[in-house]
Amino acid sequence: MNGIAALQPYVIGPLLVWAAVLKLTGRRMRAQAGRTALARLVGAARAVPALRLTGLLELAVAAALLLPPVSPADGVAAAVLSAGFLAYLTYARLAAPASSCGCLGAHARPVNVRGFARAGLLLAMSVAAIWARPHPIDAPLAVLGLAEAAALVALSPELDRAWLVPLRRLLVRLRRPLTVPTPGEVPLEVSLRLLYRSPAYCSASARITSDVRDAWEEDGLRFVVYTAGARTAVFALPLAGDDPSEVRVALTDEPAMA
Amino acid sequence: MTTRRQVLRSAVLGGGATVLAATALGSLGPEAAFGAAAPAVTPGAPDPNFAEGRIRSIKDNTLFVLGSNMVFHRIRVVDGTSLWKLGPVAFDQAKPGDGLYARGVRMPDGVLAAESVWLNIVNIKGHVRTITSEKIHLDHNGQEILCHQVPGKSVAVYSDAPPSADLSLLRVGQHVQVLGAWRPDTNQVDIATVFSPH
Repeated sequence: MNGIAALQPYVIGPLLVWAAVLKLTGRRMRAQAGRTALARLVGAARAVPALRLTGLLELAVAAALLLPPVSPADGVAAAVLSAGFLAYLTYARLAAPASSCGCLGAHARPVNVRGFARAGLLLAMSVAAIWARPHPIDAPLAVLGLAEAAALVALSPELDRAWLVPLRRLLVRLRRPLTVPTPGEVPLEVSLRLLYRSPAYCSASARITSDVRDAWEEDGLRFVVYTAGARTAVFALPLAGDDPSEVRVALTDEPAMA
Repeated sequence: MTTRRQVLRSAVLGGGATVLAATALGSLGPEAAFGAAAPAVTPGAPDPNFAEGRIRSIKDNTLFVLGSNMVFHRIRVVDGTSLWKLGPVAFDQAKPGDGLYARGVRMPDGVLAAESVWLNIVNIKGHVRTITSEKIHLDHNGQEILCHQVPGKSVAVYSDAPPSADLSLLRVGQHVQVLGAWRPDTNQVDIATVFSPH
């Protein structure tokens, strides 16, 4: 238990340093500060100074946690900061549900359950850090620390681009989840785009009053039927090939229904 | 059905042309459309020849539709009306609960005689969150929309290339626009066309 408490500063500290560096130096972060819930809380003009102040606070708490002497006050400071984050997230969720939180770098996604889970984890770790005493970090503790860091990363939507998106791309490449088209099968939409580019359609379009009424395939041709006022416009398109000048059109009186 | 299709088929194969010439009916060119009187719609006023909403009930050939602005529409579907639901469909595919956009001619009794009806048509922009079996998970302003690939119908348009039935060039993380048919009361859509900027 003592070891777990002693471990927490080494997980919280780097996270806070990283968050602070992003807030103090990130150019994109400053540009997007107006879109975070912070702008709603303090006003758009004060969003950047407020962001910097938060960064400095994070840096100060991180320094207290990482640098000797070890004192319960370090953990208390971290816990107060984490509780502040949770309160801020709750505010963001209620007052500006569409804004991003601006916690760990710029992104446009609104605050969601992951953000709360991360702030909650941070609070729990900070509270544990209150009981931190000097203690050697052995292998099981190092594994736990890595697991905590991994959980923080997994709960950070800002970092999805670094690991989740490439992972999903890899899975898509390996699994090929989308159906491969059947050779020779031409979706109607493909024919319609050819139709729209054809002189036949352009010459008849002023008469056409409906969308596609009927379409079918026969002998390598696709027939597409539109209403043209009181008459019917019927087009014949080649199923294979992409020459719009091969499209044929006829305007005919509506045949008697069989 | 076959008879009707056969008549139309022989009309276009027998008497069809690659360009329609001016006929006794008058010019068929675009100038006829440009020359036509502008629709008499006051700016800001609703277009009387258009309706949108969700189908409450269907009786004979009439759809009873409640608009999103709580205006009630009666929409008559006739032989010459086109219906779209991920492609041209027959009238029996229209179901209560379906959303629709309809265009036609407003009759004196207030009924809209529909020329075209689009059922459940949606147009959504978003980012591809992930792709699983025949589904594209779209992140639309933080909300997930499940877009189903419908083999034989769904196509992808990459940049300005001709459409392709092959959706496999879509990548996780990229921006797309999906034109499709909503599955009523769900966050799911059947893909008609997915537009990719590259």
